[in-house]
Amino acid sequence: MKRSSHSNNPSARTRPSVLVLLLNNASLVLFAVVLVVFALLSPKFFTGDNLVNILIQSSSTAIVATGMTFVLLTAGVDLSVGAAMFVGAAVCGKLVIGGQPIPLALAAMLGVGLAFGAVNALFITRLRIIAFIVTLATLFIGRGFALRITETRAMNLPDAFLQLGSAKVAGIPVPVLAVALVVAAAQLVLSRTAFGRQLYALGNNVESARKAGVHVQRLTASVYVISGFCAALGGIIALSQLGAVGPKFGENYEFKAIAAAVLGGTSLFGGRGNVFPGTVLGAVLIQCVENGLVLLNADPYLYPLITSAVIFVAVLIDSIRNETLAKLSRRRIRHDDLASGAP
Amino acid sequence: MTATTTSNEQRTTNKFLTLFASEYLVLALCVLYFTALAPFAEGFASRGNFGNILLTLLPLFMLAIGQTVVLITGGIDLSVTSTIALTSVVGAMVMSGDNGWLAGNPLAVPIAITLMLIVGGAVGLLNGIAITRLRMPAFIVTLTTMMFVSGFAVWLTKSKNIGALPGAFTLIGNNLWISLPLTAVVAAFAHLMLSRSLFGRWLYAVGHNNRAAYVSGVPVAGITCSAYVVSGACAALASVLLTGQAETGSPVLGKNLLLDVIGATVIGGTSLFGGKGKVLWTLFGVLFLKLIDNSLNLLNLSDWDIRMVKGGVILFAALMDAVRNRFVVRSS
Amino acid sequence: METTNHEQRTTNDALLSFRAIEKSFFGVRVLKSVSLRVRRGSVLGLVGENGAGKSTLMNILGGNLRPDAGELLLNEARFEPRHPTDAARAGIAFVHQELNLFSNLTIAENIFLTSFPRALPPFIARRQLRDRAAELLNEVGLNLSPDTLVERLPAGERQLVEIAKALSLAPKLIILDEPTTSLSARETEHLFALMQRLRERGVAMIYISHILGDVLRLCDDIVVLRDGAMVGNGVRAEFTSERMISLMVGRELSQLYPKRRERGDSVPLSPQRGEGWGEGWERHETQAANESAGLNHPAPVTPPHEPFLGSSRRDEAHASQPEKDQSLVTSAATVQGFEARNFVSGNSLPVERRGGPEALLELRHVSQPHIVRDISFALHRGEVLGISGLMGAGRSELARIIFGLDAHAGGEILLNGKALPRSGPRARIQHGLAFLTEDRRHEGLCLEASIADNLALVALRRHARTPLKFLSTGTWREAIRTMRAAVKLSPNARDEQAVKTLSGGNQQKVVIGKWLVAEPRVFILDEPTRGIDVGAKFEIYQLIHDLADRGAGVLVISSEMEELIGICDRILVMAQGEIRDELRSVEFDRERILRAALLDGARTVTSARTP
Repeated sequence: MKRSSHSNNPSARTRPSVLVLLLNNASLVLFAVVLVVFALLSPKFFTGDNLVNILIQSSSTAIVATGMTFVLLTAGVDLSVGAAMFVGAAVCGKLVIGGQPIPLALAAMLGVGLAFGAVNALFITRLRIIAFIVTLATLFIGRGFALRITETRAMNLPDAFLQLGSAKVAGIPVPVLAVALVVAAAQLVLSRTAFGRQLYALGNNVESARKAGVHVQRLTASVYVISGFCAALGGIIALSQLGAVGPKFGENYEFKAIAAAVLGGTSLFGGRGNVFPGTVLGAVLIQCVENGLVLLNADPYLYPLITSAVIFVAVLIDSIRNETLAKLSRRRIRHDDLASGAP
Repeated sequence: MTATTTSNEQRTTNKFLTLFASEYLVLALCVLYFTALAPFAEGFASRGNFGNILLTLLPLFMLAIGQTVVLITGGIDLSVTSTIALTSVVGAMVMSGDNGWLAGNPLAVPIAITLMLIVGGAVGLLNGIAITRLRMPAFIVTLTTMMFVSGFAVWLTKSKNIGALPGAFTLIGNNLWISLPLTAVVAAFAHLMLSRSLFGRWLYAVGHNNRAAYVSGVPVAGITCSAYVVSGACAALASVLLTGQAETGSPVLGKNLLLDVIGATVIGGTSLFGGKGKVLWTLFGVLFLKLIDNSLNLLNLSDWDIRMVKGGVILFAALMDAVRNRFVVRSS
Repeated sequence: METTNHEQRTTNDALLSFRAIEKSFFGVRVLKSVSLRVRRGSVLGLVGENGAGKSTLMNILGGNLRPDAGELLLNEARFEPRHPTDAARAGIAFVHQELNLFSNLTIAENIFLTSFPRALPPFIARRQLRDRAAELLNEVGLNLSPDTLVERLPAGERQLVEIAKALSLAPKLIILDEPTTSLSARETEHLFALMQRLRERGVAMIYISHILGDVLRLCDDIVVLRDGAMVGNGVRAEFTSERMISLMVGRELSQLYPKRRERGDSVPLSPQRGEGWGEGWERHETQAANESAGLNHPAPVTPPHEPFLGSSRRDEAHASQPEKDQSLVTSAATVQGFEARNFVSGNSLPVERRGGPEALLELRHVSQPHIVRDISFALHRGEVLGISGLMGAGRSELARIIFGLDAHAGGEILLNGKALPRSGPRARIQHGLAFLTEDRRHEGLCLEASIADNLALVALRRHARTPLKFLSTGTWREAIRTMRAAVKLSPNARDEQAVKTLSGGNQQKVVIGKWLVAEPRVFILDEPTRGIDVGAKFEIYQLIHDLADRGAGVLVISSEMEELIGICDRILVMAQGEIRDELRSVEFDRERILRAALLDGARTVTSARTP
């Protein structure tokens, strides 16, 4: 054979793998870039206190995004998480102000989250309406319902909530601990249980999964319930940090959660992504950007611009990655290009 | 005797089923809803109220036309509400009496409107390029442009409203004799393009199966891209009407319209999977949503209650559509 | 070897029986009272053409479809699978031709997706998972870590993973549907050895394959299906390849393929042929035919369809009189021998159009790394050119390159003597190129759209009037009506009806119709008759011939060799992304085609290259 194909071979074989390695870890690379940039620009950024601060601030988003990751893995979407948070918080606030014990109120909040998920799941799996429409509708129904409960007034909650938010267990702030527990549990479920692995299979190819005997309906339903539960849990954390339920409570959390998951490398087409490090990294990254901009005294009006630009870049990298991988995995017909060197 | 009654019954059920499967179902529901509620909601059937309904219906319809075009290609445009805000702000910055760039200039209004259309089209073009050239998913692209464009509008104005708009401009949105023909022309043009032109046929083909369309020589990237440009331009036109009605350029204008615009198109019967949708259907959807909005307002329901009802109606419409599709498949 | 087994057949050794199974789709009976049984510990060979009903039968067994009538008996008990899991639970495992693996999971996870070993529920016992997977991989002869992601595996290895997955169920019956299509020769041998071991262990198998030699070698019993009916059933000793073919086909080849209408103009030649062959097709045909028949005087006139009939006659001869046929083949082969070599060595001269055959489409040294290498050929006016080869030989990839769907790194593609742009189908369509893709559902049709919209899609541009490109409804409706008639689309189908409601054959006619509306000069058809009933096939062949008779060039890619032999004027054989042989109709010979398609010709090509 021709020489040229010989000399091309080594580079042709190694170049894609380095590229793929970079692309596969795009979220890590992006994270590192953001950290380095802010650390260079602001001496206060890379301090222990500030980093813990970032973790605490990102905790509610991280928990909601964990649930969102489950949904996105099945190629679905849950736009109602913010509304579930708001309804849960409104119910919780009403109960507490009405003199009910706090644990009961918190349990009720979690129940609201589960119910939200169950309603979404019912419409999506039983009645076969696409997730986008169902959760968009429940988003508005939920927010309307919560506004009705709160009569659009802010409810101040007892100090016990704020104390919960600032409490520490063994030196670790409670919100961070909560994130750690939720994320560990979620990651364990995703990577070590049949349920988790089947979720990935379902996201990869629904039809094949059905043929292989995976209970597609049951799995699909459960991710929305998980997402609702995580939304309520995230809501509790947010409540403990704010100490009040206002009419804007939980607003835009759906976008933040989707952005965190996507930043962490979760695909909107299903079957790819993980909670740890992926989604957590995404949630922390969003907070890092905001925190860094605050430290730099940047124009606060620029925050959404920069955050959305970062998300855009992450999605762009992801789509480039998909294209590259698709190109690399394309069927090769001729193997002799490699073998021809042999006598 | 019994035979004739059964055949009569059959005929009525058949009629009902035909109506159920027909594209005029939503219009029929509008009429039904209107006649059912007219005696209860005071002023519902009054002439002034018709004007009110029309006034708020037109910008939503304008916006929904663009969304329909995008949905037909199998995409989605979440950025339209932010586009309304941005074009509103840009237009106001040009023509406002307080420190507008062209304050007092007789050409301020036409230039401002042109600029609004250009900005709207540019946002659409940006979406289109990201989706077709960079192969990014429409959902996340338009979600990020929504955040970015809205952030940009807020940054431009430092979240202040811009008032003192010229009367010639606010008239467009407030005077039905101007806004109605304008919307009607846009709608008629969109309808003709979709149903009768090469562009329209290609749009549907892209929505049905973009691989097959590409193999068949359809310029898929160009068609998809132009759908988003159309959507951006429609958002700009909606912004002209809305800004005129609000009489200020506001960076949060249209913020709550996302559910309305997606809801109206879906109620009309446009599919989120692409390949299916009509301007006429969207008109019915918009009408239905606005009737509900208006009547509940007249019944003194609060804003949040209306939102809940609207959410429920959209869910119900999606459910009906699913049932209807199954029914149509079975009967054919 | 197994004759003693065959003698011992009794009625109650049946593991599985199908009894009078009936199934219809859209009113077409695809299974007509099929009854058959699989004996314990035996291999049943199931053969039949595409669309004969094999997959429908297996889908019924797998619980994907339910029979309209008839019943299944498993261990003499009624068996009514309603879901794939029912079949799995009953000890029936499937190895499908199309792979059902999840590329984002590891090999081990794919194998045990619905039966993960668990030590401490719900957690997966990872070591056990790995060990058991490694065991199964060892059994199928795949030397890989069970933790390898499936997306890293080539198709052949994925097929072995599928087999390992089937084995993980410890099945009593395994259905293997064309398992060797993506396997290398070594992997195939390994699979056959494995099947032998399984049979000795008492596992029954149903083996579905088009490679009849393999069926004869592996199977104890053989069942032949044709058009949904069982036409042959017996022990292996009762069958030969020839008998299976005649049962599968059911009629003589000459009835399966339409005759070519007489043509006035001379039929073209490959540009690569030497000077001596440039004088005209008919003369050459006659010469070759005479030489091979051992005649010395030139025959006066040969009707153009003669070569085709000749070839089919020779096929029959091949079946009944091997020795005589062999001599015919060899004589033809020696006549053509040097050319074939010449051709393969890529020594293609620039085309000299001698006023005779007009090259419509010409490829010059087209190459794309890892896909195709140095492809040169020409397709002429009025010619039906076939490309044969195994699946994965690069035929479809070549077609996609010609049509501009995929890029090529080197070489030129000329249409009507003008070089085509590097990519994009749009310019090619405007230049008169048409392409029926292999994947009808995903690339051929808008399934939800109407028949009219699908038919109109390609040529729509012509009916658009400036400035806003509004369509003149009258003219395109007219075009659609003409085309419906031309492709003989079922008259029951309304123009507004969604294409997805049509049968496979009618769907394919819609795709062909949409291209014909554009009046192509060159039509590339990739597997035009896959999954289509015999009647529709015949009509599609007629369409191909009509098109060629009207002066277009037609390039047909098919996995069914008989089909190419039946309809083509010339056949190119591809293997490993190269053209390995070229046969004119007088030379058509299954053995030669198969040899070229199968043999690892890389070395011979290389040696031919070096001076």
